[in-house]
Amino acid sequence: MKFIKWLTISALVVLIAGVAVSQQKNQKRKGRAVLSVPKVAKKDLICFALYTVHDNILKLTAQLYPLAAGDSRIVRLEIKKEGEWVEVARTKAIEPGWTAPFRVEKWNDSKAHEYRVIHEAGATYTGTIRKNPVDKGEVVVAAFTGNSIHPAHGGDISRKDIIENVKRIDADVLFFAGDQVYDHFKHYAGWLKFGRDFGEIIKDRPTLCLPDDHDAGQPNLWGESGKVSTLGGASDGGYARPGVYVQEVERAQTSHFPDPVDPHKIGQGIGVWFTNLNWGNVDFAILEDRKFKTGPAGRVPKQGPRPDHIRNPEYDPASVDVDGAILLGQRQLKFLDRWSQDWTNTEMKVALSATIFCGGAHIHGGANGRLHADMDSNGWPQSGRSRALSALRKGFAFHCAGDQHLATIFHHGLENHRDAIWSFCVPSIANLYLRWWEPLKPGANRETGAPDYTGDHLDGFANKVTNYAAANPEKKPAGKLLNTRSAGFGVVRLNTKKREITMECWPRNVDITDPATKQYAGWPRTISQFDNYDPPSWGKLGEMTFDVENPVVQLIDDLSGEILYTVRAHGKTFNPGAPKGRSFTVKAGKNEPSTVILEKAEVGAGSRAIRLK
Amino acid sequence: MKPLKANSHLVLLLRVGAFLCLAGWTWVHFYWEGPYGVLLWQESSQALAERVGIDWDEFVGTGANDGLVQRLIGFTSWFYLGATILTVTVRKKSYLQMMGLLGGGALLGILAYARFVGAQSQIPMLVEHGGQVLAPVLLVLALHMGARHRVTIAAAMVAMMMTFIGHGCYALNLWPMPATFQAMTTEILGVEHETATSLLWWAGILDFVVCVGIFLKVSRRSCALYAAIWGLLTAIARPVAGMSLSLNYWGADQFIHEAVLRAPHYVIPLYLFLVWRRSDELETIAGDSKTETGPDGCQTAGPGKITRSPID
Repeated sequence: MKFIKWLTISALVVLIAGVAVSQQKNQKRKGRAVLSVPKVAKKDLICFALYTVHDNILKLTAQLYPLAAGDSRIVRLEIKKEGEWVEVARTKAIEPGWTAPFRVEKWNDSKAHEYRVIHEAGATYTGTIRKNPVDKGEVVVAAFTGNSIHPAHGGDISRKDIIENVKRIDADVLFFAGDQVYDHFKHYAGWLKFGRDFGEIIKDRPTLCLPDDHDAGQPNLWGESGKVSTLGGASDGGYARPGVYVQEVERAQTSHFPDPVDPHKIGQGIGVWFTNLNWGNVDFAILEDRKFKTGPAGRVPKQGPRPDHIRNPEYDPASVDVDGAILLGQRQLKFLDRWSQDWTNTEMKVALSATIFCGGAHIHGGANGRLHADMDSNGWPQSGRSRALSALRKGFAFHCAGDQHLATIFHHGLENHRDAIWSFCVPSIANLYLRWWEPLKPGANRETGAPDYTGDHLDGFANKVTNYAAANPEKKPAGKLLNTRSAGFGVVRLNTKKREITMECWPRNVDITDPATKQYAGWPRTISQFDNYDPPSWGKLGEMTFDVENPVVQLIDDLSGEILYTVRAHGKTFNPGAPKGRSFTVKAGKNEPSTVILEKAEVGAGSRAIRLK
Repeated sequence: MKPLKANSHLVLLLRVGAFLCLAGWTWVHFYWEGPYGVLLWQESSQALAERVGIDWDEFVGTGANDGLVQRLIGFTSWFYLGATILTVTVRKKSYLQMMGLLGGGALLGILAYARFVGAQSQIPMLVEHGGQVLAPVLLVLALHMGARHRVTIAAAMVAMMMTFIGHGCYALNLWPMPATFQAMTTEILGVEHETATSLLWWAGILDFVVCVGIFLKVSRRSCALYAAIWGLLTAIARPVAGMSLSLNYWGADQFIHEAVLRAPHYVIPLYLFLVWRRSDELETIAGDSKTETGPDGCQTAGPGKITRSPID
């Protein structure tokens, strides 16, 4: 009997071990990619490098493959000066994650520099730090989200088309809005793969990667300032993975960002990286719309099959806008308040975040998985959305984001439709989870010939939104895995000469410079920078003619003392928009609104000449 | 304690385990939603539906109303409620009710499969549900064959092992450990990530140790007792870690059912502990006793049918 007993136990152990091994091997067959850290030769130890330059500070992070025990941890950064390589910084690779972050002050951004990252084991990685394109007249941002690598939905299809297209348009900035890595346990391996896929374009231009929920190792993320999440799905708020894991993720993806404006850490020692990047006279606010956000579970009345989903169309939207629910949080709102007023070396402003400030889809997952509202979107909490959009429109900021797996253009409304900023949600690189923008009723005030789903709507949280485009996937995607699932990428052209913003939405595996290539329906669309705060109900204060080009103008409400907005005028004339029936103090200056140029100004006042010299 | 009373307590214990498990899942189905989306929202499911003449809109709904998918998920809730009631009403001779309970076990099996598919086909996810799937089956076996019958005991051992092997595989990181394991450990014990990882690793080792230990007469009772305590602690860890006075209903609707539906994780080892605790005494009694029938109609004694676990 004893023999049988031990035979049983041994068989059990062999069975478990066998299943464990065979399951790992079988993953690929089931449409899932197998992520691993490849062994590389010493000369290839540096996988890729990301950088930004802001305020004459270069920050560059080299991403290394694992170093052996005997390898030096020191990594050096050199630039080419007059034909000679000169060391400008050295740093120590940080474990876990093998990131080597460099910081170089007094960087001369008026010209391009060749750089190389060197590890003494024989590895060298080269690239170019671009010249700040202040005189280019147009800053081109290539924007991405959702980098699934799983074959089931085309994630294994080469990114070569993206690489080639970015090179063709010579993008000035790359923006990865989130979900660069979908594996919830192996960010390092996923990040190296991301680097192998995109390093060729990342190494030569400023790149911003916002770590979103999947990067942080969870399906959705309401960070709640670093709380520990213990509920499956993480809707109780906080991080599901340990703080050290999240720190590693953020170190890899964000340590090359300009210095954080408010670096005070949150719970579990997780860092804070919201900041701004001024490049080509475009000021990008880099926002953390997940980190401080409150989790809905237990805070809002249950309205659906999940704490974060609302299925009941009859629910009272005000009931979920609960006291104390945070979206961006006070620290970021304070930053945005300062940022919207600061127009130093800035002609246009853009906000970048993981997701958009509304419920941007009706159907989730399957073709008819209708959700009334999803609290993972920045449509919730409504008061938080309102505070965020109020802050952003004060600087006429255009908004670019991802996350939704569905490309859309929205013009947001607060008090009324179309009284706040525009947003462009870019499509996924490969789309694992389908969504559709498909309101049950046609939108109001649609453009002539526009589809029913466009126009003025209320989203599931009763937020006012106006849709101009939605790249809905096919109802039953088949055949081409990428484009029937509306995969692709976005291009935002920020024309600083005309002060215009053009949104382009491209499918995958096309040549976007070929005139025959079509974008997804609804794109391209061009708006004026000033459309980002131009409520239909407003009038004009009267044309002002300045004696300087592009002065900064600020309007202050006489009754509340609050700043209505601050913006850099285009040219020497400016006719400020303002609400009717209220009076304003108008301030202006060459680079900051330091001089009161008009008091008790109201809509309908005549034109005037302003001297600022 | 007399054998008759002891056996009725054992049946009651298994009844409570099955009841709590099914009641917890019934709550999930009615209040939240069963995890079947991953099975039904599939192209193969759609193709199957179309093959039997159900068109697309009928299958998934029009968006404004429910389709077959949503209705199926809704119907399942009632089956769970029925199975839960059966755990209270079923008696030895209630063969129809027993069939119903076995159906409840099958429902839990489907649910376990859905969770397995949802967890990217990780085997431990399927295995760890074994205790829950077998909870109503154990009740039927205890009623039909006797709470001390070797088949009942063997099934309980399998159920316990499945739960602990599943958990152990995750705790030892043979498969990626669910994030909640570490999060709950960190939150409840207030320890750092490294300590939590280390604690869980040792817990994983012990998960396997108890699975081996229950085969050895010398250690089976202590292993079963440990498993009962650990099963209870891990079940209540969810509400302990997650509930808060600041949440609606203190978060009870989010977390309590997580502990309730895991009742088999501690009830089944406790059942084994109680069975084995009395076995020596019962072996003595069994020699002199005749077959008796308890209040639940369960067979409580009888040579050849009771007292010895299968691999003794």
